[in-house]
Amino acid sequence: MFRLLRPFEFHEPASVTEAVALLSTYGDGARVLAGGTDLVVSMKKRELAPEHVIAISRLAELDFMELESDGSLRLGPLVTHAAIAQSPIVRTHFPMLATACNEVGTPQIRNMGTIGGNVCKAGPSQDTPPVLVALEAQLTLVGPAGERIIPLDQFCTGPFCTVLFADELLTQIRVPPIPTGGAGCYKWCTKVTATDETLVGAAVVLVVDQDHVCRDVKIALSSVAPIATRVRGAEDILRGRQLTPELIEESARMAAAEARPRSRAEYRRRMVRVLVGDAVNQLWRQCVGSAGGATA
Amino acid sequence: MKMLARFSVNGEPHEIAVEPHWLLVEILRDRLGFTGTKHSCGVGNCGACTVLVDGVPVLACMTLALAVRDKDITTIEGLNGGDGLHPLQEAFVSHGAIQCGYCTPGVILTAKALLDRDPDPSEDDVRHALSGNICRCTGYVKIVEAVLAAAAVMRGEAVPAIAPAERSSPVALAAVRGEVDTHV
Repeated sequence: MFRLLRPFEFHEPASVTEAVALLSTYGDGARVLAGGTDLVVSMKKRELAPEHVIAISRLAELDFMELESDGSLRLGPLVTHAAIAQSPIVRTHFPMLATACNEVGTPQIRNMGTIGGNVCKAGPSQDTPPVLVALEAQLTLVGPAGERIIPLDQFCTGPFCTVLFADELLTQIRVPPIPTGGAGCYKWCTKVTATDETLVGAAVVLVVDQDHVCRDVKIALSSVAPIATRVRGAEDILRGRQLTPELIEESARMAAAEARPRSRAEYRRRMVRVLVGDAVNQLWRQCVGSAGGATA
Repeated sequence: MKMLARFSVNGEPHEIAVEPHWLLVEILRDRLGFTGTKHSCGVGNCGACTVLVDGVPVLACMTLALAVRDKDITTIEGLNGGDGLHPLQEAFVSHGAIQCGYCTPGVILTAKALLDRDPDPSEDDVRHALSGNICRCTGYVKIVEAVLAAAAVMRGEAVPAIAPAERSSPVALAAVRGEVDTHV
């Protein structure tokens, strides 16, 4: 292991506009530094050797966490995992996101690492992407020509690959509200290593009415495919139907069949079935409980 | 090209010229002499290099020095307070929560941040807070006991169960002060 870094030129832009201009100038020779937990390790391992490091870590305009009047959450890319996990807003309105952020790395990594960095890394076994995919989060990307907004499930194109251009910067993650009568959760199991990397992660958002009919469902998995992926076949089994334990088991089996794990495939598939089944069953009770409470 | 940067380390201002690729652990150990900060795995798994930046535990081996300029950095030397020991350091000595001593400064600083935030943590809270600090000697039971004991002392609910410092093991004292500096 190389413990130290090779020299580079250090830039500290004072605004997003300035950061994008620097990215345009230096292109592939530049890397963006936010929390550093990913970039610095890649540079130590000599996987990356950028000539220019563009540190956005002090850009206050990218460090925000706000609940909008429509119930959606606006997250700046520089918000740390620890800040999200501890946020009363997130814990109240999007507890599954707090759960996933609390599962990333170690406490120190959560204090340093940012949600934007986690999303842009696009690793297959990360905890926040499945949750943000199930919540249908949208990303704002800013480049020299202006901004574009794209859904997270169209952002990643493969392991560690995204549609982000070399001169673009992620500036916002918008998470729409969970519909009334709905609930979401994140379930996972880990490898047993120093950092307990996620072996399977399952994020589910479920909307159920008082007649136990599934009005909507999103199921996203991580670590069982090249990128965090919705399992739409499993969703289709539930959507519009009255929930029963048997139907949920059928959906969980479909999720396992749709998973495309590369290694430890049999075990991972089995865990997909268990985690998706547990999640949907738990959310079913939660939804019906909250709907009953609302009518009482 | 070096850039002039200011750091506050343990309340003392320092101004030094820093290469952009220097890590916080390098300037602390090699430029400023705070060798209580340990350099071990280098990739963020072990927590031996943990220091507090504005009171929050971060990994000095993964932090660019320039990224924390103008901030308040606390290293294990900041807890020594002259001849005295912090209640955490006393508890680590009296509970024998030390073996080789290499993880100790990082563990104590992480525990300090926890107790500053939550003076009355449960055992689970302590274990969770320390989950990013690996003790290769595997002495976790006594570490957790020591943190809980120090918390009780800091709340004024217990008196320190320590022999006077001069009668304690010099090896243990060196460990809690960050003076053990053998690379493992």
